[in-house]
Amino acid sequence: MNLKELYQEIILEHGKNPRNLRKTEGFNKDAKGNNPLCGDNVHVYLKLNGQKIVEDASFEGSGCAISMASASIMTDLIKGKNEHEAKEIVEDFLGMIKENPELKSEYLSEDEKTKLMCLSGVKQYPMRVKCATLSWHTMVSAFDEKTEEVKTEN
Amino acid sequence: MNIDQIKKEFPIFDEKIQNNDLVYLDSANSSQKPKIVVDRINEFYTKQFSNVGRSVHYLAVAATNLYENTRTSVQKYINAKDKNEIVFTKGATEALNLVANTLGQSYLQEGDEVLITELEHHSNYVPWHFLRKSKNIKINFAEINEEGEITLEEIEKKITPKTKLISITHLSNVTGAILPVKEITQLAHSKGIIVVVDGCQGAPHLKLDMQELDCDFYAISCHKMYGPTGLGVLYGKKKWLEELPPYQGGGGMINEVKKDRISYGELPNKYEAGTMATAQVIAFDQSIKFLESIGIENIMKHEADLVEYGQELLQKNNSVKLIGNPKNKGGVLSFTIEGVHPHDIATILDEDGVAIRAGHHCCQILHDKLNIPASARASVGIYNTKEDLDHLNQSINNCKKIFNL
Repeated sequence: MNLKELYQEIILEHGKNPRNLRKTEGFNKDAKGNNPLCGDNVHVYLKLNGQKIVEDASFEGSGCAISMASASIMTDLIKGKNEHEAKEIVEDFLGMIKENPELKSEYLSEDEKTKLMCLSGVKQYPMRVKCATLSWHTMVSAFDEKTEEVKTEN
Repeated sequence: MNIDQIKKEFPIFDEKIQNNDLVYLDSANSSQKPKIVVDRINEFYTKQFSNVGRSVHYLAVAATNLYENTRTSVQKYINAKDKNEIVFTKGATEALNLVANTLGQSYLQEGDEVLITELEHHSNYVPWHFLRKSKNIKINFAEINEEGEITLEEIEKKITPKTKLISITHLSNVTGAILPVKEITQLAHSKGIIVVVDGCQGAPHLKLDMQELDCDFYAISCHKMYGPTGLGVLYGKKKWLEELPPYQGGGGMINEVKKDRISYGELPNKYEAGTMATAQVIAFDQSIKFLESIGIENIMKHEADLVEYGQELLQKNNSVKLIGNPKNKGGVLSFTIEGVHPHDIATILDEDGVAIRAGHHCCQILHDKLNIPASARASVGIYNTKEDLDHLNQSINNCKKIFNL
């Protein structure tokens, strides 16, 4: 893995033009996260329908290309999933970012796995792992209706 | 002055860092260490170790003398009037906390105002915030001008009849602005206001003369002065250090301890409770010798040349935006690149062996004012060369290429 693989087109593209960078109208779950070391922050909004399925997901915040791309891809692929599926995907993603060579969740399509694997490059940059994971931890916090702000672990 | 020769005194530059020669542009964060400092720590632990100021055996007496030698060296280096005006702390942060805490205990009263600036590092804001919480003091902020400077006029404007203390940085770790500390002190003293100076960036790069500056307190970070980590110096005027209460209680700082009463030791022991960072203090003497061997005038000239060169280079590089343009500027080049977050800049530069810092540099107030979440910062030390800044510029270009700018 080298730098070019970390900053590949898909990350740069999502970083520059993040999907779902807005506030979901009529959201019913949300949480805030921040990375006190670098001042990055994110606010994740979820709208669950009567069947507890994510109808819409969005985020607001600012951060580096890695964190913006990660939140962008996450909010895209979480739509249509229920809480159980979403949390399994989060676990799978966090496992992959830290150590696992691949994604295993049956709730992810091949195309989604390919997109997420673009972020696997951060493994080589331990200080940047928290950039990729902040929005994911924040989404879990939104599901769990936690009121305190998520702080990234190191 | 031969920079190549000076650089050879720093063993880290013999190392390959991820297969690259190290271009170290993070000295405002912490400086690298010359071999004489590293060796001194090793030598002390290997051949001379003992605790200081307690036992009467040979090693203890010798170690105490070495420890006190550094105090005298520091006194001379910063031209303090008295050796006992030098207090060792665990860092500049502790030095500033000591000042805020003890002044809070016995001098500042509810409703008093403390004037700081928008340039301050969190270390020179949070300790005063504690007093805002516990004693209901008020904190006012002197504001930066367009160039990222704090002027004497701005300080004067923000002084009120309730201002009891001004606490300011000597040199901003973000904009590089050098504050007119001497003039601010004159003004403050004419109104009976105490002056505390955060000298973290000033001490390694500027000529220090406490009697000329005339400030009441000056905090120094030794690891930014080519010295060991875990060590700071608080300079305090004798009358203040004598008058103020102790900061921490423990061994070494007492005179007499009885069940019903305790009396405290004389200066400087009064402020040095517990076993101090003995090896670091002793090694710091070598840092001062190192600085003296080059000469502060030479250091200032070299770093001013570097900053001027770096500024020109980055100004010519389109899409790079420098933060602040102070007339009196120290060795700090903070910048942003439109369309690239500072953390991405730092990661990409790192791959080329260029070590810089990205983030808010513990100055969130300033970054809020500038309306940016973070910035990238290259900062120089005595070992840097114009080639290092060329590397920085090339690596910035590489970064722009990756981001298709």
